[in-house]
Amino acid sequence: MATGSDLWGVRARDRWPTRTIDDRRKRALALTMGSTTEVADDSAARATAAAATDRRSGRSPSQIAWDRLKRDKVAITSLVIVIFFILVAIFAPLLVALEGEELNKYHPELISALNTYPIIGANPQHWFGVEPRTGRDLFAVWAFGARPSLIIGFVAATFSTILGIIMGLAAGYLGGKVDKVITWIIDLLLSLPFLLMVLALVPIIQKRFAAPGEILTAEETSSIRFVVLIGILVFFGWIGLARLIRGEVLSLREREFVQAAKVIGVPTRAILFREILPNLVGPIIVSASIAVPAYITAEATLSYLGAGLVEPTPSWGRTVSNAQNAYARYPLFLWPPVLSIALLVLALSLLGEAIRDAFDPNTRR
Amino acid sequence: MLIYIARRALMAVSVLLVVLVATFLLFFAGPSDPAQAMCGELRCTPQRLEDIRRSLGTDRPVAEQFTEYFKGLAVGREIYVSGAPRTCSAPCLGFSFRTGIEVKEALATRFPNTAMLALMTMAIFLTVGISTGVLAARRRGTALDRGVVGFSQVFGSIPSYILGLLFALYTTVLYPILPRYANRSDGLGPWFVGLIAPAIILGLIYATGYVRYARASMVDTLNQDYVRTARSKGISEQKVVYRHALRAALSPVVTILGLDMAGLLSGTLVTEHIFGVDGIGKFAIESLRNDDLPIIMGTVLIGCVLVVVMNLIVDIAYSFLDPRVRLS
Repeated sequence: MATGSDLWGVRARDRWPTRTIDDRRKRALALTMGSTTEVADDSAARATAAAATDRRSGRSPSQIAWDRLKRDKVAITSLVIVIFFILVAIFAPLLVALEGEELNKYHPELISALNTYPIIGANPQHWFGVEPRTGRDLFAVWAFGARPSLIIGFVAATFSTILGIIMGLAAGYLGGKVDKVITWIIDLLLSLPFLLMVLALVPIIQKRFAAPGEILTAEETSSIRFVVLIGILVFFGWIGLARLIRGEVLSLREREFVQAAKVIGVPTRAILFREILPNLVGPIIVSASIAVPAYITAEATLSYLGAGLVEPTPSWGRTVSNAQNAYARYPLFLWPPVLSIALLVLALSLLGEAIRDAFDPNTRR
Repeated sequence: MLIYIARRALMAVSVLLVVLVATFLLFFAGPSDPAQAMCGELRCTPQRLEDIRRSLGTDRPVAEQFTEYFKGLAVGREIYVSGAPRTCSAPCLGFSFRTGIEVKEALATRFPNTAMLALMTMAIFLTVGISTGVLAARRRGTALDRGVVGFSQVFGSIPSYILGLLFALYTTVLYPILPRYANRSDGLGPWFVGLIAPAIILGLIYATGYVRYARASMVDTLNQDYVRTARSKGISEQKVVYRHALRAALSPVVTILGLDMAGLLSGTLVTEHIFGVDGIGKFAIESLRNDDLPIIMGTVLIGCVLVVVMNLIVDIAYSFLDPRVRLS
């Protein structure tokens, strides 16, 4: 059962070994997760050192992972880059004020009447120049553009993680009909061509928000799009984690400590959240950290294709789309959003992989 | 065996049915008027609105529309386009609001472009991915190996549409090294050559994954006892790697290929948009911008059918290759 979600969307998370139905696939999928020997030999030295400290103190898997992460140079560099973009997003108004500009302020006087291209490049008033045609300050568009990317990435990851945990726990622990229904939904969602579905759904769901005949203002459309986008990403995004949790719970359910808790009459909710869930912290953190860059990519891709965020919400993906035709004459328009998306997603992905390595017991030998 | 195939086929059919019903409800039977929603706010004239309403049949009850729609898919039906009835043979996907072309026909003419692009992409990522992966596995731990793994990790983490866009801008627009896409009507030669650029970049992006799978699998296999035995018998290294190890190492990679094949059909969507390849993906994006409902629905349905059928084929193929699957 291949996934409809693909290269452009949430791909890596669909490949948790638990989705498999046989050993053959399990082996194949383990490869995609890089959880076999590959990882082990990459960080053999580190692993021995970590193992030595492990024996001295009784620490939780999360603590061990955190200690290993702190020693990983790639992870720290990625973290610095991510924090940089988070700071840009938080202090966007301040940075733009510092530049002496504001978002969505038009400068028709800086636009050549002949070819609608700006007559100035990057300068102390406009750090990244101005947009062709409208004359908007591109630094402001860029700085504020960090916000939707990060908000969508983190919010969608939070909600899809919560949904994934709930569905996975329900399917794995309750079993029976609940399990059958949830597994069927998962298989159904995996059979859909993700990107195509999302492209078609975004405008349709958006229109469902408006009363018949009502015409929305640009601001309303823009904020509805924002919510719809997060909703759709969550809707398609929880399946990977749910399947993983389901598989883990199926085996944890039979373990002695869970059986013991059941026998002494611990309520189901307490068993789920006190006994089982703490054992799944690792995979949950890993899954969430891989989800964030996937959602940011999805938002940027959808905005680029015209099914994502709309004006006046700034979006790097849309800026890229606007800038591509002006590229030959005005590359300054394209480069800031292109480099930012690439760098942010790259840093988040590498951080995610570093977190996965840190939690992977195979690298700890 | 038969039971397994029957069970998988049943699952596929149930998924398709749900997709059909869900798309129908989403597009036609929601709380707002789909004709109004699809008419577009600026270009909507009362005439156009009326036309859309009639061709959608939204003036009739939902259940009736529903049966009419399925009847169209199963045996064909008549649809009013611009006031005049037109026959739409099974499986009827309707007519484009904008151009009046039958959706099925429009999709059929574009499908070869998408399929060809997907095939070329596959050829590239399989050759590049597997050969590089095997090379890295044989030189495991060297600078070359670390370089290959690091590069594939970095390259594979950057959003693919960014890579595709930059590649398109630099190789076909700014420095026209590679030819741009040409329609099939301009001759098969230019058409094929024009698909090379999008296939290269999409293939390379996919290859980053295959490099890592092939490498990891090969590293695994080269550590097996039988490989050591083969070496100790004095067989040449070439033979050990390519005759003994490679075949075993490739089996999980083939599994992943099966999983990717269905995804690839929608993976070409963004690439088609960037390079202007007139395939199903680009067509879908265009029709979204024009609010051309029948085309959007048709593409979504066809996309789902393709994915579901491909998955079914892959699963059944496995049950022949690996008997253990049937038992699960």
